[in-house]
Amino acid sequence: MTVDRRDFLKYSTLAIAATSGMPGFLARAAAQAAAQPASGGKTLVVIQLTGGNDGLNTLVPSSNGAYYAARPNIAIPKKDVLTLTPDLGMHPALKPLMPLWDSGHLAWMENVGYPNPHRSHFASMAIWHTADPTQARAEGWIGRVAEKIGDPFCASNIGGTTPQALRASEFSLPSIGSVDSFQVKLPAGLDGAFERLLNLPRQGEADYLGRATRQMVANTQKVQANAAKYRPGAKYPEGRFGTNLQDAARLIAAGTGQRVLYVSLNGFDTHAGQRADQDELLGTLASGLAAFQTDLETQGLADRVIVMGFSEFGRRVAENASAGTDHGQGSVMFALGQGVRGGVHGDSPDLEDLEDGDIRYKQDFRGVYAGALTTWLGLNARDILGGDFAGPGWIA
Amino acid sequence: MSLNPLSRRLTLEDAAHLLRRTAFGATDAQIRALAGRDAREVARERLALDQQLAPGNPFDPAEAATPFAGVQLTRAAWLYELLYSPHPLREVLALTWSNHFVVGTDKVRNVPVLADYLNLLRRHAATTDFARFALEVAQSPAMLRYLDADRNRKGKPNENFSRELLELFTTGVGSYTEKDVQEGARALTGWTFRGGRGNRRFLEDSEFFFVSGQHDGGRKTYLGQSGNLSGEDVVRIAATHPATATFVARKLHRAFVADTPDEAAVATSAETFRRTKGNIQAVLEELLASDHFYARRGAIIRSPVAFIVGALRTLGQPRLEVKQVLNLAQTAGRMGQFLLQPDSVKGWDGGREWVGDTALLLRMQVAASLTLGQGAPGLETHPSDLALLGTERSPLAGVTDGLNPRQRLYLTLISPEFGLA
Repeated sequence: MTVDRRDFLKYSTLAIAATSGMPGFLARAAAQAAAQPASGGKTLVVIQLTGGNDGLNTLVPSSNGAYYAARPNIAIPKKDVLTLTPDLGMHPALKPLMPLWDSGHLAWMENVGYPNPHRSHFASMAIWHTADPTQARAEGWIGRVAEKIGDPFCASNIGGTTPQALRASEFSLPSIGSVDSFQVKLPAGLDGAFERLLNLPRQGEADYLGRATRQMVANTQKVQANAAKYRPGAKYPEGRFGTNLQDAARLIAAGTGQRVLYVSLNGFDTHAGQRADQDELLGTLASGLAAFQTDLETQGLADRVIVMGFSEFGRRVAENASAGTDHGQGSVMFALGQGVRGGVHGDSPDLEDLEDGDIRYKQDFRGVYAGALTTWLGLNARDILGGDFAGPGWIA
Repeated sequence: MSLNPLSRRLTLEDAAHLLRRTAFGATDAQIRALAGRDAREVARERLALDQQLAPGNPFDPAEAATPFAGVQLTRAAWLYELLYSPHPLREVLALTWSNHFVVGTDKVRNVPVLADYLNLLRRHAATTDFARFALEVAQSPAMLRYLDADRNRKGKPNENFSRELLELFTTGVGSYTEKDVQEGARALTGWTFRGGRGNRRFLEDSEFFFVSGQHDGGRKTYLGQSGNLSGEDVVRIAATHPATATFVARKLHRAFVADTPDEAAVATSAETFRRTKGNIQAVLEELLASDHFYARRGAIIRSPVAFIVGALRTLGQPRLEVKQVLNLAQTAGRMGQFLLQPDSVKGWDGGREWVGDTALLLRMQVAASLTLGQGAPGLETHPSDLALLGTERSPLAGVTDGLNPRQRLYLTLISPEFGLA
């Protein structure tokens, strides 16, 4: 999508209207932001399932007696499973994603993990965020994408706080809490003084805060200059996750230029009463993603966006006494979109050959990342991941 | 590095620094009252905490009609205490401990349980016995519920609390094995609480309860010690492990000295922790009287709560409308810090993690509402640069020339300098 001259004039007027009360440098920044052509590139949307999503109850080994033996209370009954293959099916709450499966645009990556798995939520999440199982690196893999592209605005989190995945060596990439409220409203008469305040020379953490504030002002202008273009093309479910996905669609439709967008869904730490909690979360996930996909199709953007989802680990194979599961190892990843090659990629875990009660992972998550980086975003995955990682051919 | 006592008497800027760290901020008069005093004496005095609460707190969670309202009122009542408490250091410490022994209102929504938890944090704010503190937290219904310890039974372990006890509350990652987590869970079996369960009984009291029939009394090996260990044994072993001293000392340095602590200084505090058998009061007294503490100015990025409370304490604790306090508690949440609800059991990482676009935008809105908005509180005196920025010579002089006092105040509150402590 490109912005023609007439559109540009229209949007830059809107942008200045949206920032009325602060002419001067903020409005100039708005006009400059609007003048930048929209990105015609492809976008990767990363979905984080926080807390350790149970992969076995997500992509269910419905022909496997060992699965039902290990989980007498919380297994998904075979009759409820949404059959995908003779041996595998989806959790029933994922039903909104069935049309995507049927059209070949939903992929499951089986049994994904990393060497020497860590059962701490935080250590494991950091490993997925930095793409570094040794935990030696502080910056995130998406932060490195931004450094490679050379634009701090090329990736954004949709939500309150920026995950480590989006940390660059000196900066966190933007976190957009909500597109509507993402604007600076400066009290009248303080324009020049605010600009002077931000431009004072500083050192240490004060310098960091000053730069972050200047960058925030620029980010809000980029978003507001274009966001009014969007008209929703689907009805999203209520709740924070749906709202965040809609904001992601809005940024894509507005052509704000991010190559990577990041959305999280919390609450997967299901030590007790797992069925109720996970069922609801997977329903939220599926209804949100289905609306997102419909919206993109309505906008004519479905060929430009793919979604890739992960969680920091799966759960133990056997349920615990609280009808929940404790921390385990490898799990499933998923991907969807017209650019995705649908199907199940990789072998299912062997539930009779476990490592301390956990499945043994078979695919390295960095191989899955590499597919998105190389084939979808057209970047050199080795530069970003620090090595060559083979993965499933999940990009069409 | 040893933590040498500060040799000079407190200067005005030393006093301002101390109050930024131990009281979220202060007025010019409060700062001047400490100038010229001995650092050790002042630290000792400030650490002599009592449990008296701020008078006239308008929020009573016991009046809540729903669990959700109970949480909102608990949060607002705490923010009120943070704003108006005569013992701000007690509240700084309670906030610090709530970010160490984390529980979350996503699972804990019982009003008396949350009140008991907060009182526990206040009672042990500057505890002389960290192991005792850890045990009381471990047996609090808030923690039993939050980390599923009440579901942990003989032969049917639930590892949630056992894991986080080691990873996040005591030794930290690297000092224990997966086997220790499993053995710890066995020892902790049988712990539960009675009363106050479920959404309908959110106003009912709860208490710790041991079900001996569900306790695994067999032999375990935990962090190198073997025997028929009980849950009490496991918490004590973890809390007195040498690695715990370092882990907790680093937390205290994060809270009081710098977002990026000096590891040699942490090691000194850890040694004091070990020598005094977990006497946090002694660790803090040494730290808050040291030249190291006074040398690290502007090294902590203020959290959302510290920003809000700091602004209002610097303005002389003006009275706010009830609704304004409720709104500020919500706003802190949208900036990333809902009281009693960190994002995860790890707590808030803090430091640069507080600096996001949305949080920065909201800081600007809060500052505007406190200075220029229609409901902006009236001020008895205009805060000095010393109170606002911790220095007698404002680095912002020149920027704010020609503006009226409230405009200057607004710009100062949104400056990077005010955003640091």
